[in-house]
Amino acid sequence: MPRVKLFEHNAKRIVCKRLFFPYNGIAVTPQTDIDSVIKTLAYDKKYVVKVDQGVKKRFKNGLVVLNIGRAEIKTTLDNLKAKGFDYFLIEEFVAHNADEEKYLCLEREREGITASVSATGGVDIENNAGAIKKYLLDDAGCEAVAKQIGLDLKTITKLEQIFDDCYFSFLEINPLVVSNNIPYFLDMAAQVDSAGQFFANHAWNETDIVPNNKKTPQENAVAVLKKNSQASFSLSVINPDGAIFLLLSGGGGSLVVADEVYNLGYADKLANYGEYSGNPNEEETYFYAKQVLSLLKNSKSDKKIIIIGGGVANFTDVRVTFRGIIRALDEEKDALSAQGGSASGGNKSGVKIFVRRGGPGQTEGLAMMKEFLEKNNLCGGVYGPELPLQEIVKLAIK
Amino acid sequence: MIELNHLRDNEHSIIMIGSHPQILQSMLDFDFLSGKPTPSVKAIIGSGRKLEKFFWGRKECLIPVYANVNLIPTKIKEQINLFINVSSGRRALSSTPETIAALPNLRGGVIFAENLPEKHAIEIWKTIRQAHGKEKNLFIIGPASVGILIPGKLKLGAIGGIENNQLIAAHLFTSGNTAVLCSSGGMTNELINQLARQNIGLSFALAFGGDRFPILTPESAFLTAEQDAETKQIVYFGELGGTDEYRLAELIKEKKITKPIIAYIAGSVAGVFAEPPQFGHAKALAQKGEETAAAKKTALRDAGALVGESYEEFINLIKNNIMSGDNQTQNHEDLSNRKHTLFTCGISGDKDGAPTILNEELTKIAEKMSYPEMIISILLGQKPKSKELVDFTELVLKLLTDHGPCVSGAVNTMITTRAGKDLVSSLCSGLLTIGDRFGGAINEAANNWLKGAGEQIDPAVFVENCASTQKHIAGIGHKKYSSRQPDPRVKMILNFSQSLSQKTFTDFTLKIEKITLMKKANLILNVDGAVAAVMLDLLKEKEGYDNSALSELVAAEFFNALFVLSRSVGFVGHYLDQRRLDEGLFRLPEDEVANLDWSG
Repeated sequence: MPRVKLFEHNAKRIVCKRLFFPYNGIAVTPQTDIDSVIKTLAYDKKYVVKVDQGVKKRFKNGLVVLNIGRAEIKTTLDNLKAKGFDYFLIEEFVAHNADEEKYLCLEREREGITASVSATGGVDIENNAGAIKKYLLDDAGCEAVAKQIGLDLKTITKLEQIFDDCYFSFLEINPLVVSNNIPYFLDMAAQVDSAGQFFANHAWNETDIVPNNKKTPQENAVAVLKKNSQASFSLSVINPDGAIFLLLSGGGGSLVVADEVYNLGYADKLANYGEYSGNPNEEETYFYAKQVLSLLKNSKSDKKIIIIGGGVANFTDVRVTFRGIIRALDEEKDALSAQGGSASGGNKSGVKIFVRRGGPGQTEGLAMMKEFLEKNNLCGGVYGPELPLQEIVKLAIK
Repeated sequence: MIELNHLRDNEHSIIMIGSHPQILQSMLDFDFLSGKPTPSVKAIIGSGRKLEKFFWGRKECLIPVYANVNLIPTKIKEQINLFINVSSGRRALSSTPETIAALPNLRGGVIFAENLPEKHAIEIWKTIRQAHGKEKNLFIIGPASVGILIPGKLKLGAIGGIENNQLIAAHLFTSGNTAVLCSSGGMTNELINQLARQNIGLSFALAFGGDRFPILTPESAFLTAEQDAETKQIVYFGELGGTDEYRLAELIKEKKITKPIIAYIAGSVAGVFAEPPQFGHAKALAQKGEETAAAKKTALRDAGALVGESYEEFINLIKNNIMSGDNQTQNHEDLSNRKHTLFTCGISGDKDGAPTILNEELTKIAEKMSYPEMIISILLGQKPKSKELVDFTELVLKLLTDHGPCVSGAVNTMITTRAGKDLVSSLCSGLLTIGDRFGGAINEAANNWLKGAGEQIDPAVFVENCASTQKHIAGIGHKKYSSRQPDPRVKMILNFSQSLSQKTFTDFTLKIEKITLMKKANLILNVDGAVAAVMLDLLKEKEGYDNSALSELVAAEFFNALFVLSRSVGFVGHYLDQRRLDEGLFRLPEDEVANLDWSG
């Protein structure tokens, strides 16, 4: 399973708690009562307000506001909200010189946990890439890193331990400021291994993970479906008013079909990417197909097609999954026939559906699909492995 | 690296860890259609039943199930050379090293689960890297892998499909010289099928899985293909994310890989996203420029691989650069429309109208076997190897036949008979009396001795444990007999163990008796305890049962079966006796029942 981003606030809380350092950052979410938060802040202190949503290059994009007083916080937050963000972090401002900024980045790699360090960190780290040195965090590596950063060995070793025990995959601290052997994690970007949650001893859970930006209800529904299933599902909207809707199966096969749309120069018409795999049952596939069809109905495109595509499955049952898809299509068949043509009542050609699939039960599955599509005048073509996988895209787009 | 020659030249013995009946069946179908004499899957590690039924061709076969890998009998353990782990991602870390440690001749395996934490995959990788130090060259493919396939030789995983018609359509029984390597399981099978349509034969196919840290690295997979004498060229399907292709490019430049490679890297479509999403596989996310499909295609092309810019070009490169063979579809036995039977029977049958016992005609058995021999054969489901067991069975059956009219089973039989009921009702009434307190103690005694002697518990501790939990020790104690007046039947029974060399259970039992007799004179070894001890010793020494087989007999109440069978004769006798005497309906005299006085 993939790596997922933690909120900066939550990552710092997790790390600081285990290092026995205090952490007083305040998370601001859409539910936070900002006025009462501001009341807790001191008049005589300076603060930092930043977007906490796993976005890169925050500083350069003006999503971090430094050194402001309590009175300015509300306006600052409102400005950032206006840029379309929902999650923020308020921390005390740590005054320091630019030359104190260091860089530390831990990553889980095959040989072990590595640390990339540089004595010159900060927002321009990419320009100073040459100064970054990478160490495998064995005993010697920990010592070298401690020396480079000016932290004691114990803290580095402990940090490595926390990273490992909490199933982190990536932990970038930039800038890192060390003063009197106390590290200040001014900015932190952390990723955890979502498959490790069960083993991470309650260090984190779903609420610590940054939700993907601005998802549609359909994408959210698929995310929930995935969470509760043995099988695997994904759905990403590319263009809400796209014309080409993909209902694909298999991690690799789905990429081939989506690539082909892109290669043929129709990327701008592509409405979504997504796939189901790992032998989902009929109900799950039905639910998944409903989400794709819901996206299709919302699209303002004149012409719409669906590609139901996939390679030759090893163990995903084509009968069962197609039964689910057909049920979803059947419920929406009137809407599908009414799509297309001009809005002013011109000829409504209806959605055409193109199918290419193989695997267990393909003969019955494909026959079932063909019969349904032809009966409802939705059929663009139904093929098995005799048609090369990428050909279905050409047939569909033509 | 995988030694493909070893896998081609040897018969395989495989265990499946976890349960995935469809994958297992497809592996057996592959074996059968390849013409192998026996199924390669020897055991399942799982819970539930002791045996699982699968098809072997159109017939059925049974595969034993063990709760963990250490419970597999030593003989089978030593045979096992491969595993397929279909347990969940959560379980894979604990079950895999356990498997490696328990199986001395293991050569490799496949982990099917998705959702294995990165940390665990790395730990398993390190475990086998250490194992490399020893002489065995161990490989583990996965996680999230559909496995490895060598045409006609090995199908380890879902690879190639799970239905027998899929296997036939994909020409998986004749080999060729093209290797298919792939991160994606689905695309591995897609390519296998496309090659079959072009009549291009496979040397082997391998899906190393779409996770970030495949345990068998893409590099090892390529070096395996490079060193494989059968492989002439490599077809590779990769995806965006990760940097494995750069390592491959280096290997090509260093001439460590010299065989032609035809490749495609999927994921150009990521370019249309402002922030690319996580695609289907865990690794399929390009976080840096070098991880994009385009950059990796360029790197491979620069190193000298034939790289399709589009998937279509990739397929054309395959068509134009690999010679088709005469990879014709063979005729295979039709395995469609198979149906599992509802029952399995291991002891008797009916051959053309003639009854059989243990595969032999009943009439022949009747001629050459004594009745006790027939009985013990049917009870154990196999013919006894020793005369001692037959003789002992005869003695036990005789000694347990009846114990007078006053024991509770006999009383119930007589009362039922006198109430005018028929033979079967009266017999059942007696049989239904058998339980923990009457007649059913042999099994419990066997359980005691097996546990005590099997786990080498000190007899004094054993007795103390029972005493402290106020548990009566089944097999010890008698109402009538005591050390001053021993039970003569027990002596006859114990005589049987004199001929044995170990008599572990009898010795343990006698030590227990010695301790209990110090407490009370009637805490003497009784018939139940003696029968259990001697039977255990005979089965172990003369019949080759190990402790786990013996505990299965205990669990199935085999030891009580001897009493039930023998005493049935007694109960029928009491029924017939009462019918002859015809004393009429029995009513308990009122003064035989004490009425509790509730008023006070």
